Amino acid sequence: MLITSLMMSLNQLLPVAILWVILQVYSKQPVFIMWTTLISGLLMSFFYMQASPWLSQLYSYQGLEFSQIMLCVITFIAVLIFTIKRRTLAFYIAVVSSMTLYLSHYIIYLTSFWQNDDAGMSLLVGSILGVGICMSFSTLLFFLIHALKRQCGLHLVITLLALNSAAKLLLALDLASQTDLIASTMIVWDLRHILSEQSELGRVLRALIGYEATPNVLSVITYFASATVFILLCYHPFKSKEQQ
Amino acid sequence: MAKQCLWLFCVVFLSFTANSKEYRVVLKNHLFYPAKITIPSNKKVKLLIENQDRTPEEFDSFDLNREKVLYPNRTSVIYIGPLVKGDYEFFGEFSPNTARGVVIVVDEVQHADN
Repeated sequence: MLITSLMMSLNQLLPVAILWVILQVYSKQPVFIMWTTLISGLLMSFFYMQASPWLSQLYSYQGLEFSQIMLCVITFIAVLIFTIKRRTLAFYIAVVSSMTLYLSHYIIYLTSFWQNDDAGMSLLVGSILGVGICMSFSTLLFFLIHALKRQCGLHLVITLLALNSAAKLLLALDLASQTDLIASTMIVWDLRHILSEQSELGRVLRALIGYEATPNVLSVITYFASATVFILLCYHPFKSKEQQ
Repeated sequence: MAKQCLWLFCVVFLSFTANSKEYRVVLKNHLFYPAKITIPSNKKVKLLIENQDRTPEEFDSFDLNREKVLYPNRTSVIYIGPLVKGDYEFFGEFSPNTARGVVIVVDEVQHADN
Protein backbone atom coordinates (compact mmCIF):
# COMPACT_ATOMS: atom_id res chain seq x y z
CA MET A 1 0.00 0.00 0.00
CA LEU A 2 2.92 2.33 0.77
CA ILE A 3 4.46 1.95 -2.68
CA THR A 4 1.02 2.10 -4.35
CA SER A 5 0.21 5.35 -2.51
CA LEU A 6 3.60 6.77 -3.49
CA MET A 7 3.13 5.83 -7.15
CA MET A 8 -0.45 7.13 -7.17
CA SER A 9 0.71 10.46 -5.72
CA LEU A 10 3.44 10.77 -8.33
CA ASN A 11 1.24 9.72 -11.26
CA GLN A 12 -1.56 12.11 -10.42
CA LEU A 13 0.33 15.07 -8.95
CA LEU A 14 3.29 15.23 -11.32
CA PRO A 15 1.36 16.28 -14.49
CA VAL A 16 -0.32 19.12 -12.56
CA ALA A 17 2.92 20.22 -10.91
CA ILE A 18 4.82 20.20 -14.21
CA LEU A 19 2.19 22.29 -15.99
CA TRP A 20 2.11 24.73 -13.09
CA VAL A 21 5.93 25.06 -13.08
CA ILE A 22 6.19 25.70 -16.84
CA LEU A 23 3.39 28.30 -16.73
CA GLN A 24 5.01 29.97 -13.75
CA VAL A 25 8.40 30.16 -15.49
CA TYR A 26 6.75 31.53 -18.62
CA SER A 27 4.97 34.33 -16.76
CA LYS A 28 5.20 34.64 -12.99
CA GLN A 29 1.86 34.91 -11.17
CA PRO A 30 1.28 36.69 -7.85
CA VAL A 31 1.13 34.62 -4.65
CA PHE A 32 -2.54 35.50 -4.15
CA ILE A 33 -3.42 34.03 -7.58
CA MET A 34 -1.39 30.90 -6.79
CA TRP A 35 -3.30 30.27 -3.55
CA THR A 36 -6.66 31.03 -5.17
CA THR A 37 -5.83 28.60 -7.99
CA LEU A 38 -4.70 25.90 -5.56
CA ILE A 39 -7.81 26.13 -3.37
CA SER A 40 -10.17 26.34 -6.37
CA GLY A 41 -8.45 23.34 -7.97
CA LEU A 42 -8.77 21.26 -4.81
CA LEU A 43 -12.44 22.18 -4.41
CA MET A 44 -13.21 21.45 -8.08
CA SER A 45 -11.43 18.08 -7.81
CA PHE A 46 -13.48 17.20 -4.78
CA PHE A 47 -16.79 18.19 -6.41
CA TYR A 48 -15.84 16.37 -9.62
CA MET A 49 -14.97 13.27 -7.61
CA GLN A 50 -18.37 13.45 -5.90
CA ALA A 51 -20.13 13.76 -9.25
CA SER A 52 -18.06 11.07 -10.99
CA PRO A 53 -20.27 8.03 -10.20
CA TRP A 54 -23.30 9.94 -11.51
CA LEU A 55 -21.41 11.26 -14.54
CA SER A 56 -20.17 7.77 -15.40
CA GLN A 57 -23.75 6.59 -15.94
CA LEU A 58 -24.64 9.32 -18.44
CA TYR A 59 -24.56 9.00 -22.27
CA SER A 60 -24.44 5.20 -22.36
CA TYR A 61 -21.91 5.03 -19.51
CA GLN A 62 -19.55 7.39 -21.33
CA GLY A 63 -20.36 10.60 -19.46
CA LEU A 64 -17.18 10.55 -17.39
CA GLU A 65 -14.98 10.23 -20.46
CA PHE A 66 -16.88 13.05 -22.19
CA SER A 67 -16.28 15.33 -19.21
CA GLN A 68 -12.59 14.34 -19.10
CA ILE A 69 -12.22 15.04 -22.83
CA MET A 70 -13.76 18.44 -22.21
CA LEU A 71 -11.28 19.14 -19.39
CA CYS A 72 -8.36 18.16 -21.63
CA VAL A 73 -9.54 20.48 -24.41
CA ILE A 74 -10.18 23.33 -21.95
CA THR A 75 -6.65 22.91 -20.56
CA PHE A 76 -5.15 23.02 -24.07
CA ILE A 77 -7.08 26.17 -25.04
CA ALA A 78 -6.42 27.91 -21.71
CA VAL A 79 -2.66 27.23 -21.90
CA LEU A 80 -2.63 28.50 -25.49
CA ILE A 81 -4.44 31.72 -24.52
CA PHE A 82 -2.14 32.20 -21.53
CA THR A 83 0.94 31.75 -23.72
CA ILE A 84 -0.33 34.27 -26.26
CA LYS A 85 -2.05 36.85 -24.05
CA ARG A 86 -0.58 36.12 -20.59
CA ARG A 87 -4.01 36.50 -19.03
CA THR A 88 -4.25 35.47 -15.39
CA LEU A 89 -7.72 34.03 -15.97
CA ALA A 90 -6.30 31.65 -18.58
CA PHE A 91 -3.63 30.51 -16.08
CA TYR A 92 -6.34 29.94 -13.49
CA ILE A 93 -8.55 27.93 -15.87
CA ALA A 94 -5.62 25.86 -17.20
CA VAL A 95 -4.39 24.81 -13.75
CA VAL A 96 -7.83 24.29 -12.21
CA SER A 97 -9.04 22.11 -15.12
CA SER A 98 -5.79 20.15 -15.04
CA MET A 99 -6.11 19.65 -11.27
CA THR A 100 -9.73 18.54 -11.67
CA LEU A 101 -8.71 16.03 -14.31
CA TYR A 102 -5.86 14.42 -12.38
CA LEU A 103 -6.53 15.02 -8.68
CA SER A 104 -10.08 13.64 -8.76
CA HIS A 105 -8.60 10.15 -9.39
CA TYR A 106 -6.22 10.65 -6.50
CA ILE A 107 -9.03 11.76 -4.19
CA ILE A 108 -11.10 8.70 -5.20
CA TYR A 109 -8.13 6.53 -4.23
CA LEU A 110 -7.56 8.31 -0.91
CA THR A 111 -11.21 8.31 0.16
CA SER A 112 -11.70 4.66 -0.84
CA PHE A 113 -8.83 3.22 1.15
CA TRP A 114 -8.68 5.71 4.01
CA GLN A 115 -11.32 3.86 6.02
CA ASN A 116 -9.31 0.66 5.85
CA ASP A 117 -7.51 0.47 9.24
CA ASP A 118 -4.57 -1.56 7.89
CA ALA A 119 -3.96 0.81 5.03
CA GLY A 120 -4.39 4.19 6.77
CA MET A 121 -0.80 4.70 7.92
CA SER A 122 0.76 3.38 4.69
CA LEU A 123 -1.58 5.62 2.74
CA LEU A 124 -0.56 8.66 4.76
CA VAL A 125 3.19 7.97 4.62
CA GLY A 126 3.08 7.08 0.91
CA SER A 127 1.14 10.21 0.08
CA ILE A 128 3.46 12.47 2.10
CA LEU A 129 6.49 10.90 0.39
CA GLY A 130 4.82 11.32 -3.02
CA VAL A 131 3.97 14.96 -2.38
CA GLY A 132 7.54 15.54 -1.12
CA ILE A 133 9.16 13.96 -4.18
CA CYS A 134 6.79 15.85 -6.43
CA MET A 135 7.62 19.18 -4.77
CA SER A 136 11.37 18.50 -4.92
CA PHE A 137 11.16 17.55 -8.58
CA SER A 138 9.04 20.61 -9.36
CA THR A 139 11.51 22.93 -7.61
CA LEU A 140 14.44 21.47 -9.55
CA LEU A 141 12.46 21.66 -12.79
CA PHE A 142 11.56 25.29 -12.08
CA PHE A 143 15.19 26.32 -11.66
CA LEU A 144 16.29 24.21 -14.65
CA ILE A 145 13.72 25.74 -17.01
CA HIS A 146 14.37 29.18 -15.53
CA ALA A 147 18.10 28.82 -16.23
CA LEU A 148 17.37 27.59 -19.75
CA LYS A 149 15.01 30.52 -20.27
CA ARG A 150 17.86 32.90 -19.44
CA GLN A 151 20.16 31.09 -21.84
CA CYS A 152 17.83 30.46 -24.77
CA GLY A 153 14.98 32.89 -24.25
CA LEU A 154 11.31 31.94 -24.26
CA HIS A 155 11.50 29.59 -27.27
CA LEU A 156 12.21 26.54 -25.13
CA VAL A 157 9.43 27.35 -22.64
CA ILE A 158 6.93 27.87 -25.47
CA THR A 159 7.98 24.56 -27.04
CA LEU A 160 7.59 22.81 -23.69
CA LEU A 161 4.15 24.36 -23.21
CA ALA A 162 3.17 23.30 -26.74
CA LEU A 163 4.26 19.69 -26.18
CA ASN A 164 2.71 19.54 -22.71
CA SER A 165 -0.60 20.89 -24.01
CA ALA A 166 -0.52 18.60 -27.05
CA ALA A 167 -0.20 15.75 -24.54
CA LYS A 168 -3.59 16.76 -23.10
CA LEU A 169 -5.15 16.37 -26.55
CA LEU A 170 -3.44 12.99 -26.79
CA LEU A 171 -5.16 11.99 -23.57
CA ALA A 172 -8.48 13.28 -24.94
CA LEU A 173 -7.91 11.17 -28.05
CA ASP A 174 -7.22 8.05 -25.98
CA LEU A 175 -10.40 8.68 -23.99
CA ALA A 176 -12.38 9.17 -27.19
CA SER A 177 -11.13 5.90 -28.69
CA GLN A 178 -11.66 4.15 -25.34
CA THR A 179 -15.37 5.00 -25.59
CA ASP A 180 -15.47 4.26 -29.33
CA LEU A 181 -16.22 7.87 -30.13
CA ILE A 182 -13.49 7.74 -32.74
CA ALA A 183 -11.95 4.77 -34.48
CA SER A 184 -8.63 3.57 -33.11
CA THR A 185 -5.87 3.32 -35.64
CA MET A 186 -2.93 0.95 -35.80
CA ILE A 187 0.11 1.41 -33.57
CA VAL A 188 2.89 3.31 -35.35
CA TRP A 189 5.85 2.10 -33.30
CA ASP A 190 6.47 0.03 -30.20
CA LEU A 191 9.18 1.47 -27.94
CA ARG A 192 8.27 -0.56 -24.85
CA HIS A 193 11.60 -2.43 -24.96
CA ILE A 194 13.60 0.79 -25.26
CA LEU A 195 11.74 3.06 -22.84
CA SER A 196 8.71 1.75 -21.00
CA GLU A 197 6.08 4.20 -19.79
CA GLN A 198 6.25 2.40 -16.44
CA SER A 199 9.93 3.26 -15.93
CA GLU A 200 10.89 6.36 -13.93
CA LEU A 201 12.07 8.26 -17.00
CA GLY A 202 9.02 7.07 -18.95
CA ARG A 203 6.67 8.43 -16.30
CA VAL A 204 8.45 11.78 -16.16
CA LEU A 205 8.46 12.12 -19.95
CA ARG A 206 4.81 11.14 -20.04
CA ALA A 207 3.93 13.90 -17.58
CA LEU A 208 6.27 16.41 -19.21
CA ILE A 209 5.67 15.96 -22.94
CA GLY A 210 3.09 13.15 -23.19
CA TYR A 211 5.47 10.32 -24.11
CA GLU A 212 3.69 7.17 -25.30
CA ALA A 213 5.61 3.98 -26.07
CA THR A 214 2.86 2.62 -28.32
CA PRO A 215 1.10 5.53 -30.02
CA ASN A 216 -1.33 5.05 -32.88
CA VAL A 217 -1.37 6.91 -36.17
CA LEU A 218 -4.04 9.40 -35.13
CA SER A 219 -2.22 10.17 -31.86
CA VAL A 220 1.04 10.94 -33.65
CA ILE A 221 -0.69 13.17 -36.21
CA THR A 222 -2.72 14.99 -33.54
CA TYR A 223 0.29 15.45 -31.26
CA PHE A 224 2.57 17.01 -33.86
CA ALA A 225 -0.21 18.96 -35.59
CA SER A 226 -1.52 20.51 -32.35
CA ALA A 227 1.99 21.31 -31.09
CA THR A 228 2.83 22.96 -34.43
CA VAL A 229 -0.40 24.99 -34.45
CA PHE A 230 0.28 26.01 -30.84
CA ILE A 231 3.80 27.24 -31.68
CA LEU A 232 2.66 29.00 -34.87
CA LEU A 233 -0.10 30.83 -33.01
CA CYS A 234 2.34 31.88 -30.29
CA TYR A 235 4.62 33.47 -32.87
CA HIS A 236 1.76 35.04 -34.81
CA PRO A 237 2.21 38.81 -35.36
CA PHE A 238 -0.79 39.72 -33.15
CA LYS A 239 1.17 38.62 -30.11
CA SER A 240 4.11 40.89 -30.71
CA LYS A 241 1.77 43.80 -31.50
CA GLU A 242 0.01 43.43 -28.19
CA GLN A 243 3.19 43.05 -26.22
CA GLN A 244 4.70 46.08 -27.90
CA MET B 1 -16.65 21.70 -49.52
CA ALA B 2 -18.20 21.65 -46.03
CA LYS B 3 -20.08 18.45 -46.90
CA GLN B 4 -16.88 16.83 -48.15
CA CYS B 5 -15.08 17.78 -44.97
CA LEU B 6 -17.91 16.38 -42.87
CA TRP B 7 -17.86 13.15 -44.87
CA LEU B 8 -14.09 12.86 -44.46
CA PHE B 9 -14.44 13.51 -40.72
CA CYS B 10 -17.04 10.73 -40.45
CA VAL B 11 -14.91 8.27 -42.40
CA VAL B 12 -11.75 8.99 -40.46
CA PHE B 13 -13.05 9.49 -36.95
CA LEU B 14 -16.38 7.88 -36.42
CA SER B 15 -16.67 4.16 -36.01
CA PHE B 16 -19.46 1.67 -35.68
CA THR B 17 -19.79 -0.32 -32.51
CA ALA B 18 -21.97 -3.10 -33.90
CA ASN B 19 -19.05 -5.21 -35.15
CA SER B 20 -17.07 -5.19 -31.90
CA LYS B 21 -16.86 -8.52 -30.14
CA GLU B 22 -17.51 -8.38 -26.40
CA TYR B 23 -15.29 -9.81 -23.67
CA ARG B 24 -16.51 -9.88 -20.08
CA VAL B 25 -14.04 -9.32 -17.24
CA VAL B 26 -14.84 -9.41 -13.53
CA LEU B 27 -12.88 -7.69 -10.79
CA LYS B 28 -13.30 -9.52 -7.51
CA ASN B 29 -11.12 -9.39 -4.37
CA HIS B 30 -8.78 -7.11 -6.32
CA LEU B 31 -8.18 -9.76 -8.99
CA PHE B 32 -9.18 -9.73 -12.64
CA TYR B 33 -11.07 -12.79 -13.94
CA PRO B 34 -9.96 -13.87 -16.48
CA ALA B 35 -6.49 -12.44 -16.11
CA LYS B 36 -5.62 -13.44 -19.67
CA ILE B 37 -7.83 -12.25 -22.49
CA THR B 38 -7.07 -13.55 -25.94
CA ILE B 39 -8.32 -11.39 -28.79
CA PRO B 40 -7.79 -11.46 -32.57
CA SER B 41 -5.30 -9.10 -34.19
CA ASN B 42 -6.42 -6.05 -36.17
CA LYS B 43 -9.88 -6.09 -34.60
CA LYS B 44 -11.53 -3.66 -32.26
CA VAL B 45 -13.07 -5.36 -29.22
CA LYS B 46 -15.25 -4.27 -26.34
CA LEU B 47 -14.28 -5.08 -22.75
CA LEU B 48 -17.12 -5.15 -20.24
CA ILE B 49 -15.53 -4.89 -16.81
CA GLU B 50 -17.65 -5.51 -13.76
CA ASN B 51 -16.26 -4.37 -10.43
CA GLN B 52 -17.68 -6.69 -7.75
CA ASP B 53 -15.48 -5.22 -5.00
CA ARG B 54 -16.67 -2.69 -2.44
CA THR B 55 -13.92 -0.23 -3.37
CA PRO B 56 -13.35 1.55 -6.68
CA GLU B 57 -10.49 0.50 -8.91
CA GLU B 58 -8.78 2.12 -11.84
CA PHE B 59 -8.25 0.04 -14.94
CA ASP B 60 -4.91 1.19 -16.28
CA SER B 61 -2.74 0.11 -19.15
CA PHE B 62 0.30 1.88 -20.50
CA ASP B 63 0.51 -0.64 -23.33
CA LEU B 64 -3.08 -0.08 -24.43
CA ASN B 65 -3.19 3.63 -23.51
CA ARG B 66 -6.33 3.09 -21.48
CA GLU B 67 -7.37 4.45 -18.08
CA LYS B 68 -10.79 4.22 -16.47
CA VAL B 69 -12.19 4.30 -12.94
CA LEU B 70 -14.26 1.21 -12.16
CA TYR B 71 -16.91 2.07 -9.58
CA PRO B 72 -18.08 -0.61 -7.10
CA ASN B 73 -20.88 -2.87 -8.31
CA ARG B 74 -20.96 -1.25 -11.72
CA THR B 75 -20.04 -2.36 -15.20
CA SER B 76 -17.71 -0.23 -17.28
CA VAL B 77 -17.05 -0.38 -20.99
CA ILE B 78 -13.65 0.02 -22.62
CA TYR B 79 -12.89 -0.41 -26.32
CA ILE B 80 -9.44 -1.62 -27.35
CA GLY B 81 -7.75 -2.35 -30.66
CA PRO B 82 -7.12 -2.86 -33.49
CA LEU B 83 -3.82 -4.25 -32.22
CA VAL B 84 -0.89 -6.10 -33.71
CA LYS B 85 0.19 -9.50 -32.34
CA GLY B 86 1.73 -9.37 -28.87
CA ASP B 87 1.05 -9.08 -25.16
CA TYR B 88 -0.46 -5.93 -23.67
CA GLU B 89 -0.47 -5.70 -19.88
CA PHE B 90 -3.13 -4.01 -17.81
CA PHE B 91 -3.50 -3.52 -14.05
CA GLY B 92 -5.62 -1.97 -11.35
CA GLU B 93 -3.83 1.21 -10.36
CA PHE B 94 -5.24 1.10 -6.82
CA SER B 95 -4.13 -2.54 -6.29
CA PRO B 96 -1.28 -3.05 -8.76
CA ASN B 97 0.21 -6.04 -6.91
CA THR B 98 -2.88 -8.21 -7.24
CA ALA B 99 -5.12 -6.80 -9.95
CA ARG B 100 -3.05 -7.62 -13.02
CA GLY B 101 -3.87 -9.05 -16.39
CA VAL B 102 -2.77 -9.29 -19.98
CA VAL B 103 -4.47 -8.96 -23.34
CA ILE B 104 -2.93 -11.50 -25.70
CA VAL B 105 -3.37 -10.57 -29.33
CA VAL B 106 -3.11 -13.51 -31.72
CA ASP B 107 -3.73 -14.12 -35.43
CA GLU B 108 -7.37 -14.31 -36.34
CA VAL B 109 -7.04 -17.94 -37.48
CA GLN B 110 -5.30 -18.91 -34.25
CA HIS B 111 -8.02 -17.13 -32.27
CA ALA B 112 -10.77 -18.97 -34.16
CA ASP B 113 -9.08 -22.32 -33.34
CA ASN B 114 -9.19 -21.49 -29.64
